[in-house]
Amino acid sequence: MNATAGFAALAAVAAATALIGFYGLRISRTTSDFYVASRTVKPWLNASAIGGEYLSAASFLGIAGLVMVSGLDALWFPIGYTAGYLMLLLFVAAPLRRSGAYTIPDFAQARLDSTAARSVTSVLVVVVGWFYIVPQLHGAALTIRTTTGLPAWVGSVAVVAVVVLTVATGGMRSITFVQAFQYWLKLTALGVPAIFLVLQVSGPGAPVPSAEAAAMVWGGSGGSPYRTLSLLAALLFGTLGLPHVLVRFYTNPDGSAARRTTLIVLGLLGLFYIFPTILGVLGRLFLPELVAAGGADAVVLLLPGRLVGGTAGELLSALVIAGAFAAFLSTTSGLVVSLAGVISQDLLGGSVRGFRWAAVLSAVVPLAVALGTQSLGLAGSVGLVFAFTASTVCPMLVLGIWWRGLTDAGAIAGMVAGGTLCGGAILLGPRLHAGDPGYELLSQPAAWTVPVAFAVMVLVSRATAHRQGAGTARFMTRLHVPERPLSPGKPR
Amino acid sequence: MTVPGQDAPEPPQRVRVEAPRRLANAAPVRASVAQEVSEHSQVGEVFVRSLIRSQLRLAAVVAGAFALVLAGCWLLATLLPGLLEVRLGGIPLPWLVLGVGIYPVVCLCAWLFVRAAARNEARYLDLVGEK
Repeated sequence: MNATAGFAALAAVAAATALIGFYGLRISRTTSDFYVASRTVKPWLNASAIGGEYLSAASFLGIAGLVMVSGLDALWFPIGYTAGYLMLLLFVAAPLRRSGAYTIPDFAQARLDSTAARSVTSVLVVVVGWFYIVPQLHGAALTIRTTTGLPAWVGSVAVVAVVVLTVATGGMRSITFVQAFQYWLKLTALGVPAIFLVLQVSGPGAPVPSAEAAAMVWGGSGGSPYRTLSLLAALLFGTLGLPHVLVRFYTNPDGSAARRTTLIVLGLLGLFYIFPTILGVLGRLFLPELVAAGGADAVVLLLPGRLVGGTAGELLSALVIAGAFAAFLSTTSGLVVSLAGVISQDLLGGSVRGFRWAAVLSAVVPLAVALGTQSLGLAGSVGLVFAFTASTVCPMLVLGIWWRGLTDAGAIAGMVAGGTLCGGAILLGPRLHAGDPGYELLSQPAAWTVPVAFAVMVLVSRATAHRQGAGTARFMTRLHVPERPLSPGKPR
Repeated sequence: MTVPGQDAPEPPQRVRVEAPRRLANAAPVRASVAQEVSEHSQVGEVFVRSLIRSQLRLAAVVAGAFALVLAGCWLLATLLPGLLEVRLGGIPLPWLVLGVGIYPVVCLCAWLFVRAAARNEARYLDLVGEK
C-alpha cells in the first residue's frame, strides 16, 4: 500500500480534530451557562457525539476482524454493543441525568453518602478507563504498521500525543462538535468503501474469490452457548458503567431528553454496525489468508487496496485510515477527559493544573501497557473490559438507582468481589488453553461474575441495613421524579 | 454558533469553572410548595414509590421481551443450521437477521420504552397536581 495515503489521512484527521476542537464553537460562557450549557445541545448533535465517542477501535477494526475469524458468531458483538445502549436507556439514562452527578464516583458518593464508596468507585473507573484505552492504542499501532510501514509504536505514541495535547491545553472546548464530527466521519469511512466494494464485486469484471473461500464464507465457528451468553451479559451490562458515557449524558437538558438522545444513539449504532459486517464478509471472501497470519483486525484497512487498486483504491484506503484514527482519537480523548476528571478530583485537589497532570497520567499509563503487550484481537480485549465494568460499576449503578436498600458497605463489598473475581479471571484466562478445565469460565467470565457481584451487594446491604443513608429517600425522589417544566427566563 | 472573528453582540464574560465538582449536587433546584409538600409527606412518598415501581416494572418488561427476542434468534441460528441454506438475495437468513434485522427491533423496544416512561411520568405529575 502507498504510505502517502496513510500519512495524508492521519494528518487530515488530526488537523480537522484540532480545528473543530479549537474553533468549532466558541460561545462565551458564564458559570451558570456551564452547568446548563446542555440546553443548547440538540438531541441529534448530542447523539452523534455519543456515537462518535462510543465507536472505538473494537467497532471500527475489531468487528470486521472477528467476522473474518468466527463468522456468524461474531455478529453477537455488534448486537451486544448496541443493546448495551438499550440497557442504558432502560435502567440508567434518565435517573443518572437527574442525579446531578458528573462522574460515576460523584454518583456513588451522592447516593451512598460515603467517601469510601467514592474512592473504591474511583479506583475501578480509572482501571476500566486504562484498560479500555489499551486496545485503542493497539489498534493505532496496527493501523500504522499496516498502512505506512513505520514501526508499530509510532501509532500508539501519535494517538497519545494528540490526545494529551488537545485535552491538556483545553482544546476540547467544543468536544461535542468534535465527537459528533467523528461519528459521521467513521460512518462515511466504513459505509462508502463497503458500498463501493459490494458494487465492485457484484459488477462485471469482478475479482473472483477462490473456490475454497467461497465455500466457507457463510460458515460459523460453532462457539459454545456459554461463551455467547457470557459475552452478551458482559456487553449488555458493561455499557452502563463505562466512564466516558455518563459525562456525555450530562449535556442533555433533562431526563426525558436523555432518553430521546439514547433512542437516536441506538439508530446511529445500528446503522453503523451493518458496514463492518459487510466488510468482514468481503474479507472472508477475498483475504482469507489474513486469519492464519493473525492479522484479521487489519482487514478493513487492506480490502480497498486489494479489491479496487489504482487511485480509487488509494482514496478509499485513505478514507478508511482516516476513520480508524477518528475512532482511536475520539474514544481515547473521551476516556482521558473523564479519567483526568476523576484522578484530578480525587488525588490532586481539583485544580486546573492538577487536571493537566491527570490527563498526562491517564494517557501515559495505558501507553506503557500497550507498548509492552501484544494485541489479542481488538474486539475480544474490549469485550473483557466490558465484563469488568459489568461486574463492578454496573451493579452499583443499577441497585443504587432502583433499590433503596443499597448501603455503602454493600456497594463496596459487591464491587470488590466482582472486581477481584473478574479481574482474576481476565488475568488467568489467557494462561489456559482451550480444553483446560475452567477455560470457558475464565476466558469469558461475565456470566458468573455479574450475578455474584449483584448477590454480594444485595446480601451485604441486607446485613448492614442500619447503615442506610438518611438522605436516601430524598435522593431517590430526585432520580425518578420528572423535572418541572422550565419557566423561560428563570434559572433553575 | 458564532463564527470567530465576526462581531457578535457583546457576549457575557467567559468564566473558568473550577469549583470542586462534588459540590455540583448542591445546585439549587426550584420546587413549588405543592411539590415539596407532596414529595416529603407520607402521601407524597407513596406517589414517588409507585412511580419508581412502575418505571422499574416497565424497564424489566422491555428488557425481558428483548432478551426473549435474542434467545429466539440464538436458538434459530444454532438449532436450525438448515436455515443457512435459506437465502434472500444470496445472503443466508441467519446472517440477515443477526447482521441487520435485529437493529430495528432494538430501536422499536427503545421507542416503546421512551413513550411509556414519559406516560408514567405524566401520570405522576397529574397525581401530585402539577401540569
